[in-house]
Amino acid sequence: MRILRRARSLWNTVLRKDTLERELDDEIGAAVDTLTDRYTARGLDQHAARRAALSALGNITEVKDSVRDARIGSRLEALLVDMRYAWRGLSKAPALTAVIVTTLAVGIGANTAIFSVVHAMLVAPLPYRDADRLLFIWSDRTSSGYPRAPFSGPELRAVREGTTTCAGVGAIWSNTAALTDGDPEQLRIGFVSGNFFDVLGAEPAIGRTIRPEDTAPGAPPAILITWDVFQRRFGGDPSIVGRQIHVDGRSTTLVGVMPRAFRLLLPLDSSVPDHLQAWMPLWPDAERTQNRFLRVIARMHPGVTADEARADIAGIASRFTRETGTERAFTTVALQADDVREIRGPLVALFLGVGILLAIACVNVASLLIARAASRARETALRLALGASRGRLLRQALVEGLLLTMLGAGAGLFAGSVGLRVLLVLTPDSLSRIDAAQIDGNVLGFTLAISIGWGLLFSLAPLTELFGADVLRLLQPHGRSFAAPVRYRTRAVLVIAQIALSVVLLVSAGLLVRAFLEVLRVDPGFKSDRQLTFRMMIPGGPYPDQDSFNVFAGQLQQRLAAIPGVTGVGAFSHIPYDDLPNWGGAYGLQAPVPADGPSTDLRAISTGLFEMLRVQLLEGRFFTDHEKSPVAIVDDKLARELWPGRSAVGQFFYIRLGSGGGARMAVVGVVRHLRVRSLVEDLTPQVFLPWRLAQRNPIAWIVQADRDPAALTADVREAVASLDRRVPIHDVRPMADYVENARATRRFTMLLAALFALSALVLTSVGVYGVLAYAVTRRRHEFGVRRALGADAARVMRDVLREGGALALTGCAGGLAIAALAARLLQNQLYAVHPRDPISYGVALALILGSAAIACGIPAYRAASINPMDALRSE
Amino acid sequence: MAKNGPSKTELMKGTLDLLVLKTLALEPRHGVGVADRIEQISRGTFKVKPGSLFPALHRLEEDGSIAGEWSETPEGRRAKYYRITAAGQRQLAAERKNWAKIVLAVGQILAEE
Repeated sequence: MRILRRARSLWNTVLRKDTLERELDDEIGAAVDTLTDRYTARGLDQHAARRAALSALGNITEVKDSVRDARIGSRLEALLVDMRYAWRGLSKAPALTAVIVTTLAVGIGANTAIFSVVHAMLVAPLPYRDADRLLFIWSDRTSSGYPRAPFSGPELRAVREGTTTCAGVGAIWSNTAALTDGDPEQLRIGFVSGNFFDVLGAEPAIGRTIRPEDTAPGAPPAILITWDVFQRRFGGDPSIVGRQIHVDGRSTTLVGVMPRAFRLLLPLDSSVPDHLQAWMPLWPDAERTQNRFLRVIARMHPGVTADEARADIAGIASRFTRETGTERAFTTVALQADDVREIRGPLVALFLGVGILLAIACVNVASLLIARAASRARETALRLALGASRGRLLRQALVEGLLLTMLGAGAGLFAGSVGLRVLLVLTPDSLSRIDAAQIDGNVLGFTLAISIGWGLLFSLAPLTELFGADVLRLLQPHGRSFAAPVRYRTRAVLVIAQIALSVVLLVSAGLLVRAFLEVLRVDPGFKSDRQLTFRMMIPGGPYPDQDSFNVFAGQLQQRLAAIPGVTGVGAFSHIPYDDLPNWGGAYGLQAPVPADGPSTDLRAISTGLFEMLRVQLLEGRFFTDHEKSPVAIVDDKLARELWPGRSAVGQFFYIRLGSGGGARMAVVGVVRHLRVRSLVEDLTPQVFLPWRLAQRNPIAWIVQADRDPAALTADVREAVASLDRRVPIHDVRPMADYVENARATRRFTMLLAALFALSALVLTSVGVYGVLAYAVTRRRHEFGVRRALGADAARVMRDVLREGGALALTGCAGGLAIAALAARLLQNQLYAVHPRDPISYGVALALILGSAAIACGIPAYRAASINPMDALRSE
Repeated sequence: MAKNGPSKTELMKGTLDLLVLKTLALEPRHGVGVADRIEQISRGTFKVKPGSLFPALHRLEEDGSIAGEWSETPEGRRAKYYRITAAGQRQLAAERKNWAKIVLAVGQILAEE
């Protein structure tokens, strides 16, 4: 009600100014008239009466001014007075102010930094036109072991033609191709359907994107490049657009350049890397290609809900199943939601954690303000007695709190922007998308909102008991101890809450650290230390057939092996944890193998690779240079499944490679399952084929060094160039990078969680110390008396420790209960660690109790060393 | 609630609010009428200046403690009459109690010397 009235008054003052002024004139005029009447009645003449009336009223302009001030100005003026008062108070206690502002800066800064990441990742729309209408469609092949599989050509066509809810359905497949003008350079290329950019809703910076006419039969080849390639390869010269360049030796029209900021953000497991460098049209009959290779996005018509689209596309899948007789299921998800599928959990957890950290920081601030309020109690009591209303005191406390908050928010924003910059520097490649995080209007709004919200709470804390207090009691002599016990209780409750929250953070961080240590201990089935990797595409022109291909590969392997310091060389179709599309195929014991049967991951390997990776051979042998008939090495998973209880070596099975009914393979060896796609789970079974027979192109080479592998980069480039200058190599990186990347999200989350938990621990220790130190000061007199009466120092010390211990234990009990609940939220980030992992809980308890003991110890020692005479004299 | 503060003028304003509310609690009056009444009951101790009275009236009106409306004086002139509202009644009661406390407390402080 009151607020409504205030709002109306402000409204009136601002917008109905004229009316109010006229009314005020009338009112004063009426007063003049009334007084004039009165003086006339006393016998003055009209003129004199009026003069007397005016002089009785005094300076009318001044009267009106003060009325205007009373209406709204008084509030502003009072506010200014309060601000000045608050500022004086704060600047008189610079140490206290500095501690509070620093505490707030830490809490608010951490929240600002994390929120800017949360906002950029989870809230802000993707940078495409009407991004909320974008869908990503997976082919659900759970039965084959691939719940999130790509589409085949005919599946794409069925959805594209059948949908009634989507305005467009586009597809992309990523591969590489080389720019062959000048120094050859292998680029990551997205091969796209003609409508892809239209569906995505992205515009080029120069020229045009890939269009439907580019995928028509006989259309001239076209390429669209990123801003980066445009600058680096073509010096940013716009006249290049429309000209012919050579891609894999073919004359190709450079049709356009995408804007500098453009990024194609598809789900991380879609094998479409964020850093594609160019786009080219898919081949004209891509929709007839049976391989599953297409990643599909769709744009809903305006007004269509995601559920409607899901039902529509599910309907197409069942029609497809009926018409072709092959079981199909499509999973339709919002592109935005799917893009952040893996990072959402960790981010939400971090966001909650940083929120708790701020709560802990604000408890400290509240505690400090309560302590100060207690030291000012007499002043407050006097003011109350002299007629200051409680509302006034309330307002002053709020003004002071908000002033502190604003100082804290300012410092917090600064700390937050520094923190965010540090965060972005520490961000691993696999999280490069959080680069979009910045401190914008939304983040500012959030920072202000949490600052003001917490500011209100902690500035009201000192007043909680004041309102129940009795002015007279407050004013009694020896009022030193009057309200202190009450205030002390509030602070104790706050400290218990603080300890509980810290336990939650410490346990959560402990669980994440433990899980990360478990991930570090994972044996993926191969070694990755001191290895250098690079990729190449062996050009089809100079090496058209299997033999010339194998000759080139054999010679290269020899040259690489001859580099001083190289102890092993091998080729691998996929580097572990890379972003290449997975290669898999259906398998069976009989031909023909049904296309929808269970699938294995397929990998081509050269000789020497498994020896170098130190893969564990369980049975049989590795490949040799002389394999003639189709042979395979299988993992133990497949061996157990197909030939349970028997030796797999010498057995035969069939794999569908491409569109045939299945190639017959002889098993020559069994190896332990290699965790090459996921560090933390065994996915589908694996089959390894000799690269000489199953030639995969592009190919990755892995070189084992006896020293820092990066030092070999120049030698490796030289070895390739000395063999054939036309073959570009790219992505020269240590193998450890890939392994590191596979753990990066966990490492990142764990480090931040640990940082928050340690900050919480420090803040809480300060809080515990503050409360106990205060309690000791408050009981100085009592301790003095007790010492004087013969109590020994140890006894006094024990009392204080007991008091602190009670706080700490109560807080721990509450914290453990909450932590057990919170840990369930973390569950899917806890690899090989139980949410009730006793070690994490134990360490958290030890840390909090240990630091509480130190925090209690100092005041306890001080209490014990009180000189009875001093304590008594000061009363 | 009155907007009291540490300075003397503010304290006076608070007192004035109390007196204005008390005056209007009996019957609606216009500004000059309120001043007359306060002077009359206090037997001339408080001579309320227009420079304090009108701001006080407007402040109380804005707080919703009193409400003003235009009507005719017995002499047949138009004037803005103020009446006390329900919120004003409550405030009057609170201020009365507070005043009693202040008198007592200040008395105690003075007695302590």
